[in-house]
Amino acid sequence: MNFLGKERKMIKEKVTIKNETGLHARPASELVKLASKFKCNINIAVGDKTANAKSILAIMSLGVKVNTEIELQCDGEDEETAIKEIIEAINNKFGE
Amino acid sequence: MLKGKGVSNGVGFGNIAILKNEDRVIEKKIVENPENEMKRFKEALEEVTKETQEIANSITGTEKEIMDAYLMIMQDPSLTMETENAINNLNYSAEYAVEIGFNSVIQVFKNMDDEYMATRATDIADIKNRILAQLLNEETINTSKLPPNTILVAKELTTSDTAKLNFNHVTGIITEIGGTNSHSSIMARTHAIPAITRVEDATKIFRNGDYVAIDGMLGEIYLNPTEEEKQKLLKIQSQILKENEELEKYKGTETKTKDGYKVELVANIGTPADVELVLKNTAEGIGLLRSEFLYMDSDSMPTEEEQFSAYKEVAEKMNGKNVIIRTLDVGGDKELKYLELEKEANPFLGYRAIRLCLDNIALFKTQLRAILRASHYGNLLIMFPMISSIEELREAKKILEECKKELDTENIPYKKDIKVGIMIEIPSAALIAYGLAQECDFFSIGTNDLIQYTVAVERGNEKISKLYTKYHPAVIKLIKDSIQGAHDAGIFCGMCGEAAGDELLIPLLIGLGLDEFSMNSNKILKARKIISQLEKSKCEKLVEKVLRLNSANEVEKKLKEFIENEIS
Repeated sequence: MNFLGKERKMIKEKVTIKNETGLHARPASELVKLASKFKCNINIAVGDKTANAKSILAIMSLGVKVNTEIELQCDGEDEETAIKEIIEAINNKFGE
Repeated sequence: MLKGKGVSNGVGFGNIAILKNEDRVIEKKIVENPENEMKRFKEALEEVTKETQEIANSITGTEKEIMDAYLMIMQDPSLTMETENAINNLNYSAEYAVEIGFNSVIQVFKNMDDEYMATRATDIADIKNRILAQLLNEETINTSKLPPNTILVAKELTTSDTAKLNFNHVTGIITEIGGTNSHSSIMARTHAIPAITRVEDATKIFRNGDYVAIDGMLGEIYLNPTEEEKQKLLKIQSQILKENEELEKYKGTETKTKDGYKVELVANIGTPADVELVLKNTAEGIGLLRSEFLYMDSDSMPTEEEQFSAYKEVAEKMNGKNVIIRTLDVGGDKELKYLELEKEANPFLGYRAIRLCLDNIALFKTQLRAILRASHYGNLLIMFPMISSIEELREAKKILEECKKELDTENIPYKKDIKVGIMIEIPSAALIAYGLAQECDFFSIGTNDLIQYTVAVERGNEKISKLYTKYHPAVIKLIKDSIQGAHDAGIFCGMCGEAAGDELLIPLLIGLGLDEFSMNSNKILKARKIISQLEKSKCEKLVEKVLRLNSANEVEKKLKEFIENEIS
């Protein structure tokens, strides 16, 4: 992406969902709350589907189950902090 | 007169208010002014969101988490995208746009290959219905602002309906769907509101404002009652009031006989929400927490976390009082979809309760770990159901020890000396009571199953129901042996079957030395009153007499005689 003349790329990282119920209502709503704090665009990709991490419906409709690997994609000014904090929260099972 | 199933005792008079049902038809309509439709839609959405926010603020726990998730869904732009498109680009009326816009989202969830997600479709449908009701200016009953003397009528009352209900203004509840233990029945009993369920088409039969009188014990509803009917019900009402006032005296008092013999009077509960009723009736603890609700109400196996938070909630609310948690008692007749149990020829003699748990160790361990972890927050005890041999008890205890070791390695706190007991509900267990008592900390006699196994009568079979009686001398002998076995080994013996709350049997059980009586919360005060009028020595003499009798009828007669002479 061309951003203010600089060559920019979104950053991404793979992570495994460990919540026993997958990304169901509660963990999904925790994820949305966290993602909404950041300015950058945040997407979650599973297989050939991608969903906006700031939309609870989009995330729930991915139907991510336990032990599924997802790719977290962040793109925007605070992407570094965003990816770090979200990965950490996922690894902590959103405090479950 | 209409009849349903009475689920909460009492008499109520009042005017009907019907909570709208959801089978309306929305017709396609093209409008001239999409801006106006958009404004109507936004306002309706905002109103429903505000309502939900108010509910979410007024509740706690799992119910609040559900409401919070609802709120987030409502504020999600992808929920309304289709609806807004339909208004802006197709000039549909707000109502029709909501109908098709929300249905497309509902369809996505319905089609998902995941039962849990498919049920989320219901949540979105609920939001849709509330927005439509708002748009159509339907006279939705605002449950927080009901006029005094309202008889509430609904297909079924949900958590969000009852969360904001003004109970002081509700004099009765009538529902189409439900049972003794459904959410609204429990709420009704907690707040002492008469309630009747399984009244077919109730939301269609009545009209808002109809005057009715209901009897929540008999399940009878009188539309525009005659003077005679009114008088009859008023008489029942004043009797109930008098009895309740009389029982108020026994709130918070010690449970002991006239000659000073103390027993523990505790409650049976089915869900954490029942604790309110336990405390209100001043039960001294919980003698039976049926853990099945966690498994039956769910589409998948409840996780350790879900179980932990439910048990912890009860432990904390009971504030140091005993809480006996019975481990999973399903199988046979109580089905769990996700376990895929085979059909059996004799389910009551089959693969159920502890037998199933010992065969599915991972499932059993999940529950035991959850109970152990929650034991850190209160006084929990563990009870195994359906024990028929000493090997089963040893095996179950071994698995419990393994769980304790795991928690030790993980540095997770739990009550190290948590007490472990068993249900005595199979004759073989009653007959080896002393042996079992030497290897556990307490007994609780489950009379409902004990009777069926002793007299070989299936509980639910109407044709032979006459043979099913708690007064059978054989049943009484097994109860006596169980208590004796427990006391010889120095452990306490309780009872959590229906017999424990039976007015006729209480004196006999006192005479037999039963230490703990566990029953539904609404029977606690009555039982305390009865016990306070008894003398232990006389009850012991009653035991001697009853043990000489050979028929259930004779036993029942003798017990009636005793009660009539001793209780005022």
